[in-house]
Amino acid sequence: MDGIIANIVYQFAVNWAFLALAALGLIVILGMIDIINLAHGEFIMLGAYTTALLVHAGVPFFLTIPLAMVAVGLFGVLTERLIIRRFYDNKLIALVATFGLSLILSQGVFLILGPFLPAVRMPFGGFKYGGYSFSTYYSILPIVALCAMAAMWLLFYKTRLGIEMRATMQNPEMARALGVRTSRIYAITFGVGSALAGLTGAVYAPTTSIVPLFGAEFIAPAFIVVVIGGGMDPLLGTATSAFFLAVVSTPLSYTVSDFAGRIGLLTAALVIMRILPKGFSYYLHRPMRSLRALAGMRM
Amino acid sequence: MSKVGLLMPGVADRPEGLRELRLHGRLTFFNGPVYWVVVAVVVAFALALPSFGSTFLISNLTSFYLNLPLTLGLALLWGYAGILSFGQMAFFSIAGYSYAVLAINFGGGSWTLLAATLAVAVGMVVAAAFGYFVFFGRVSGLIAPVLTFVLTLILETFLGQTAGPEWKIGSAPLGGYNGMTNIPSVEIAGMTFNGLTAPLYYLVVLISLAIFLGMRVVANRRVGHVLAAIQIDVERCELLGHDVRIYQLWVFVIAAGAASLSGVLYVSWGNYITPANAGMLAATLPVLWVAVGGRASFTAVVLSTVGLQFASNWLAAFGGQYSLLLMGALLLLTMMFAPGGLVVGLIGALRARFS
Amino acid sequence: MFDRESTTQAAANTKADPPAQPSQPAATRRRLLQGAVAAGITASSLAVFSRSVQAKSTEPIKIGLLEDQSGNIALYALPKLHAAQLAIKEINDGFTLISGPTGFGGTAAPDGAYKGGFYKEAEDVLVPSGDKGIMGRQLTFYAPDTQSDNRKFQELGRRLILQDKVDVIFGADASSEREALRPIIDQTKTLYFYANQYEGGVADKYTFCTGAVPEQQIIPVMQYMIPKFGKRIYILAADYNFGQLSASWTKVMAPILGGEVVAEEFIPLSVSDFTATIARVQKVKPDWLMMFITGQNHGNYYPQANAAHARFPMASSITLAQGYEHKRFAPPALAGMHSAVSYMEEIATPRNKKFVERFHKMFPHEPYIQQEANATYAAVHLYAAAARLAGSVDRAAVTEVLESGIGVEAPSGWLFMDPATHHTSEYIRIARAGEDHSISFVTQWPSLEPWWLRRLGVNLVSKPEFKQYTPQDDPRFRKA
Repeated sequence: MDGIIANIVYQFAVNWAFLALAALGLIVILGMIDIINLAHGEFIMLGAYTTALLVHAGVPFFLTIPLAMVAVGLFGVLTERLIIRRFYDNKLIALVATFGLSLILSQGVFLILGPFLPAVRMPFGGFKYGGYSFSTYYSILPIVALCAMAAMWLLFYKTRLGIEMRATMQNPEMARALGVRTSRIYAITFGVGSALAGLTGAVYAPTTSIVPLFGAEFIAPAFIVVVIGGGMDPLLGTATSAFFLAVVSTPLSYTVSDFAGRIGLLTAALVIMRILPKGFSYYLHRPMRSLRALAGMRM
Repeated sequence: MSKVGLLMPGVADRPEGLRELRLHGRLTFFNGPVYWVVVAVVVAFALALPSFGSTFLISNLTSFYLNLPLTLGLALLWGYAGILSFGQMAFFSIAGYSYAVLAINFGGGSWTLLAATLAVAVGMVVAAAFGYFVFFGRVSGLIAPVLTFVLTLILETFLGQTAGPEWKIGSAPLGGYNGMTNIPSVEIAGMTFNGLTAPLYYLVVLISLAIFLGMRVVANRRVGHVLAAIQIDVERCELLGHDVRIYQLWVFVIAAGAASLSGVLYVSWGNYITPANAGMLAATLPVLWVAVGGRASFTAVVLSTVGLQFASNWLAAFGGQYSLLLMGALLLLTMMFAPGGLVVGLIGALRARFS
Repeated sequence: MFDRESTTQAAANTKADPPAQPSQPAATRRRLLQGAVAAGITASSLAVFSRSVQAKSTEPIKIGLLEDQSGNIALYALPKLHAAQLAIKEINDGFTLISGPTGFGGTAAPDGAYKGGFYKEAEDVLVPSGDKGIMGRQLTFYAPDTQSDNRKFQELGRRLILQDKVDVIFGADASSEREALRPIIDQTKTLYFYANQYEGGVADKYTFCTGAVPEQQIIPVMQYMIPKFGKRIYILAADYNFGQLSASWTKVMAPILGGEVVAEEFIPLSVSDFTATIARVQKVKPDWLMMFITGQNHGNYYPQANAAHARFPMASSITLAQGYEHKRFAPPALAGMHSAVSYMEEIATPRNKKFVERFHKMFPHEPYIQQEANATYAAVHLYAAAARLAGSVDRAAVTEVLESGIGVEAPSGWLFMDPATHHTSEYIRIARAGEDHSISFVTQWPSLEPWWLRRLGVNLVSKPEFKQYTPQDDPRFRKA
């Protein structure tokens, strides 16, 4: 019995981590600067490639994770400066342009580095509990996701940069009037979102083979999380919508089949969309704020 | 709003509008006598082509032209109403599959015309149901494209797992990822419209022409003005008394109907359909075609739809592995330097210089 | 419909044509093919088959190669394209694989010496053909990039046939790609070789298949696994055509082979997270797993299961030999995998070592030569040999030779083209991946026939057809 409960908790946590990490970078960029990056999957792929190339060059795996974040983050800043910057007045066009970018990235990597890179060995082994065995590495992914969110929370709410970012998000003109260099803030925000994609790519690199379409499997789940999470509060949105989707799909995948789990996930997304079209975060954001105000917390 | 208004917004408000065709006006980019002469020459040339073109050219052109209804629909949807949709290929596939199932069960022959009609209707009904969720849920303009994207991917996943014997409708197995083959072509009065002969070519040219002209009429009528107003400011449009949701749903269904038509023509051309038609790449290609030409001009969309398929075909034949890379670069650069589209940008620049 | 029309056409061809090959002395042709006799005799002794060739005898012969050079299937298709290019170069340089109409057994031993029940392996199966190209005509190829896109197969197939007017087409990887191509192949009556391992069942007068089919892979691997590891089988299959059909083969064959399928699970191709699946497998604790999972996402199963210490013996008909997972994943993810393969680069026979050497000389950066590369290489050489025998590249003439009981000595072993079903016999080996992903071959069947279509009564020589049979057409499968 212990084993079954542990197993369900484990599966749920692994599911949640996958959904949250797939979406986090995308939703930060959407929430903060209202851009949907269709090349998000390719940014994740770049993170995985950075990690794989460094590991094969002899760098220890755990050291490659921050390096992948920095590399993809810088690439994101560059992308914002060269491409995204042009589209703040027509955001649908940004969506199309980033699709072009995604074709270039996946096909470019294919042409330069070939159809695949050798895999990255998964660190740690497994452990047994109640008749089931579990992967240690997978078990720490939810913790990684939580740490990434905590770091984002600290950045947004506890630093001057974070305040400037939120100010820019809520009212760019006012922020500019108050002396915030919003153009710089946009670049940084896009870089932060990209770095999160890099993190996702790096930590999932050991779980699969490294191919140019590495990012494709993250795209659909990431979009679903974003749609029902909403961009109002990126962290709250990601956490709650990933939680909700994992709650729906885990038992279905476990008891029926993976296909049932997938269909359940999509049905849930459609229903939520009809009931809460602005996403979880929009409806949760205000109550949270009033709660905090009641408790005398400074927002 | 009246019942007629529900079916076709704008019509009931201006009954006299039915009498005038409005093939040109302020909301179409290309107008004037010179333009119409050019259109007439191009259409005449297209209709004369089978008498001297090779079988290959005719067959290939049919395959390019049959996407025109789909991209013209997307131009109306995105260029005029401001709704970016990755769902056109979903409706294309739904209609294609519906046609395949019906035509196989009817056993081909002249029943295929009924199958084709019903298939387009199925595509539009599904679009209406999906559109209801999206537009009556008042999903934001940036999220709607994502939803259509997800819809297309779900459809691919669903169709992909239909390989088992339980997925057989009448005598037509859905066939999973291998798709459906041996689908009868459309047949009217003993004439078969398959991918190797001229009749389908003529049919596709005429249908595309009809839809092209129809779209221009819609755009220049009152409904076109309302759609354009919605794209500019939803709230203001509602304050003026328009039910934005109905207009959005209507244009979405019309675009889906055009896409469905393309789907049926495609099946008649190749006698084959697979879930890959609703795959990630397939879903994004029409957006690419429309964006590169110029989403707010039907003429530009026609040019880019045909031109880019030619280019892609040529690149695939001679450019080897570079073709996808070059298509991506073309899209990115167009969006960066001519966000309204290449054709529109170019003509616009010329006009500015000479006026 | 075009099907009916082309059927009558093909039937008429068959009737009008002179009696087919077998009346010719087999030995003569074998010698011819081994290059012992000059091309002139080929033409005279086989004059009945030459039709319209002489008119354009100096023009190059056009080969269409439709392979995915980009997109998600490129990983599997690029080695095939390169294998075809190698074969074309060899044919142009005046070489051929040993070939001849000698039936299922293969060609005679080089020095007549038998060893361990089978004849001694030839040092190399590539011999001079005495002919640069085919009948002095060089081979050129057209290789557009189909981009892993079914629609490109439709369009570029038309381009090759109608515009470039190729004499033969090799290509397509996924079954959906083959099905995209077949309508145009049948409408234009073009000769087509499909060189992939697949779910079986294609009965098409114009299509020749050189890859392995379920009865050549699933039954052998089950035959090996059940006595060795036990009777309780857990099937993990991708939820699409290949996975579902392979799973039903396993279920139908299990009782006959003394096994028992205790659970089966179908996984959508888009699933990449296997935690739930691994938990279910651990609960059932089967003796071994039958793996029909495939594609990039499903590859995740191996590292995930390994990390969770869910290690069971595994069997498969697709892993290792097609997607070279043992090269792409970090060991020991695939340790304990047993796969029935028609070819792998690691096969240690002299003829294969020579082939691998030639391949890497022409394509030094090829990551792996997989079983489809072998099947394509053999198919191109088989085509050249058949055209040379026919004295023509005319579709009907070459088809007659291909239906005459001809075979070819591929790097893997002898491939015999079954006249009735247009599928080849295969040299099947069970490959086992070790802890370090080194490959060992634990047992082998030198000549396994493709018998399933014949069981259904298919005979393309006497009754041309243009369809794909599914297990639903077989009473035994319907019962199960």
